[in-house]
Amino acid sequence: MTEVLGDFIRALRSADVRVSTSESIDAGRVVGLVGLDDRMTLRDALAQVLAKSEDEKAAFEETFDAFFAFDQFKSRPPAANDDRADAAENAEAEGGEGEDGSPQQSGSPSAPGSGGMGGEPGEGGEPSPAADLASLLERGDQAELQMALAEGARQAQLNRIRLFTQRGMFTRRIMELMGLDGLNEEIERRERDGNVAGAEQLAEAREGLRGQVRDYVEKQLEIFTANSGRQLREEVLAQVRLSNIDRSDMKIMRELVRKMAKRLIALHSRRKKVARRGVLDIRRTIRANIEFDGLMFHTVWKRTKIDRPKVMAVCDVSGSVAQVARFLLMFLYSLQEVLPGVRSFAFSGRLGETTALFEREKLEEALVETLREHGGGSTDYGQALMDFEEIALGDIDHRTTVLILGDARSNYGDPRGDILKKIHARARRVVWLNPEPRTMWNSGDSEMRKLQPYCDKAVTCASLKDLERVVSELLRSAV
Amino acid sequence: MLGCLNENHTIQGRGGFPSLDDRLSNEKNAPAEIEAVRKGFETRGYICNAHIATSIFLAERLQKPLLVEGPPGVGKTELAKATAELVGKPLIRLQCYEGLDEAKALYEWKYGKQLLYTQVLKEKLGDLMAGANGLKESMTRLHDFDDTFFSEEFLEPRPLLKALWQPGGAVLLIDEIDKSDDEFEAFLLELLSDYQISVPELGTIKARTTPIVFLTSNNTREIGDALKRRCLHLYIPFPDTDLEQRIIRSRVPEVEEELRRQLVAFVQGLRALDLKKLPAVSETIDWARTLVLLHARELDADLVRNTLNVLLKFQDDIDNVDGEINALVTKAVQAR
Repeated sequence: MTEVLGDFIRALRSADVRVSTSESIDAGRVVGLVGLDDRMTLRDALAQVLAKSEDEKAAFEETFDAFFAFDQFKSRPPAANDDRADAAENAEAEGGEGEDGSPQQSGSPSAPGSGGMGGEPGEGGEPSPAADLASLLERGDQAELQMALAEGARQAQLNRIRLFTQRGMFTRRIMELMGLDGLNEEIERRERDGNVAGAEQLAEAREGLRGQVRDYVEKQLEIFTANSGRQLREEVLAQVRLSNIDRSDMKIMRELVRKMAKRLIALHSRRKKVARRGVLDIRRTIRANIEFDGLMFHTVWKRTKIDRPKVMAVCDVSGSVAQVARFLLMFLYSLQEVLPGVRSFAFSGRLGETTALFEREKLEEALVETLREHGGGSTDYGQALMDFEEIALGDIDHRTTVLILGDARSNYGDPRGDILKKIHARARRVVWLNPEPRTMWNSGDSEMRKLQPYCDKAVTCASLKDLERVVSELLRSAV
Repeated sequence: MLGCLNENHTIQGRGGFPSLDDRLSNEKNAPAEIEAVRKGFETRGYICNAHIATSIFLAERLQKPLLVEGPPGVGKTELAKATAELVGKPLIRLQCYEGLDEAKALYEWKYGKQLLYTQVLKEKLGDLMAGANGLKESMTRLHDFDDTFFSEEFLEPRPLLKALWQPGGAVLLIDEIDKSDDEFEAFLLELLSDYQISVPELGTIKARTTPIVFLTSNNTREIGDALKRRCLHLYIPFPDTDLEQRIIRSRVPEVEEELRRQLVAFVQGLRALDLKKLPAVSETIDWARTLVLLHARELDADLVRNTLNVLLKFQDDIDNVDGEINALVTKAVQAR
């Protein structure tokens, strides 16, 4: 059982459910407690120790149903008739020992799920003798076949399957472990003995079994690799330059951005306490000094908490940076969902605030709306900064971090560095994110030279990884 | 029911892992026991499904805290209360809020008494030191003197410590853990994994009887992984139509069947809309009571409009729903 549970947990992990070692141990105890007879109870119970958020619960249920589905055997009609009952009986007497106890548990055909799992207590036994397979097939006992298959899969370490090219190899190995050689010999022997009908029947059953094993392997492949393809894709996407990302990858990308924002928030949402001078905490002071007969040797000061940083993000959404801006907007949107005090602005020609829009609309609509409202015009940094000054300069204080994303290509207009200087003077930090590589700065109509002096930091931000690094740094040092 | 839970308790208590015999016997009756828990709740007016009953069963058997999440008003706190009633143990409740610290949650020294004690000590000191030769002997006597300055006598227990000290065990409810600070969450870890707490001046205090611990969260912030790992996790969603009808039948028995069916159908319809705050079970119960007071026999649009503020707590929501009331009422009346 423990091994099945281990496989199940591995499957869960590949489905993005985080399971720690201690939780695996709990799962083992739970199985011991509730038993395997009642599928629904087991599912409910395992869900409570293994899946610990709403998303994880959904993933858990899906994986549970896929993993413990053994119904591919149910629909198959019995493959053999009773005319060889005596031969079957002999074989049963021989091979029944190997799977001690398990047939009883899986005996009831109404509970295919628990049957499959119940098979595992017999796993310690010897592998079924090869001769078994022939009689098994002839008897057409699907429950026992299923057990043999599960046992073969276990020995072949099917849970290690990672690539679809391994399907054939695993199918063959499982067949062999189930006793393919013995089966072939049996077929040959019958041919030799002139029992052609019997041999053909058995050969047919063998092909049927091969199909079943292949199905089984494919299903397992699906379970164990449900997410690994996507994980790989995500890893690649995080590195790729934002402007090169395909539209078809947008969906994964959006998910990725959301994940990243969440991770950053979890990392940095811890607030720090600082001592506020001047206010004595009487209660704690007395407590600290009680051993000195109430004389105040130590003073304890009241503490107050500094709130999370205020972030104002200004985003260029003109044609030249539209691709990258999309992601920053996405990121801002996710950030705003979890972090209070994020205000976002977008501009190409004129600048406007999008905070309310982000709060009101879903991500999709908000993005489209922002790009429609503010995008497309010719970039004018001077005008944008003027608008920004008018709207938001009053709200910038020593706790505010101003984040600007843009290529600083102002179409040869005055970028109004003087306004940025004012902003810089008031704000805690001004960070400029430029999607272009540093070598391209100051070429053509890029005005980085004039704007950079008023930034605490100006960095290239071209991929999601860059973005994560920059924002992480920002959150860490801004608290 | 009580007996049955306690009996199993001892089985679990014998050793960390249940032996094979126990496991076999457990296997047989676990679903039956879960059903017994559910029935037990039902007789006490808490209607729940097997899912919730399973979690209570597990929490009791594994002796693990149970983290309950779900939208407000689905009965998270009620679950703890019902459990306390079911097992016949006192419910000790700790409401979390921002700024909650160990002095309010765990223990506090009785400063006044400690000060008085030092006064008394001073007076007694003369007797104690009488006849002592030199400073060294005085110090020895002082060291021999039983020091009770930091002792349990001067400890004022707060909810967490109270729960640990309760001789027969208790049901501890740590309500709305998401409202507390991160530090408090971290501070709870020791309690939740080992049922013990550390008082720097005294050492470790262990639970006399392991309490059943509930934590509830409204998900206003993400609960830390470390905490989640130590808990079982139960998510209570809004109930389905059938369950909600049973809840109303149990909680507001005065409501006639037809009206009950209609009002539950209406509330279920409301939950499908895009609202700021969806009506929860507690609101449905309130509404049912309101309708009983008004001697309503069935829903109609005017009645709903006049009482909608019981269900919806935001004016925006009420305005939004206003246009849909007729359709929703018709649907609710016709639904079978």
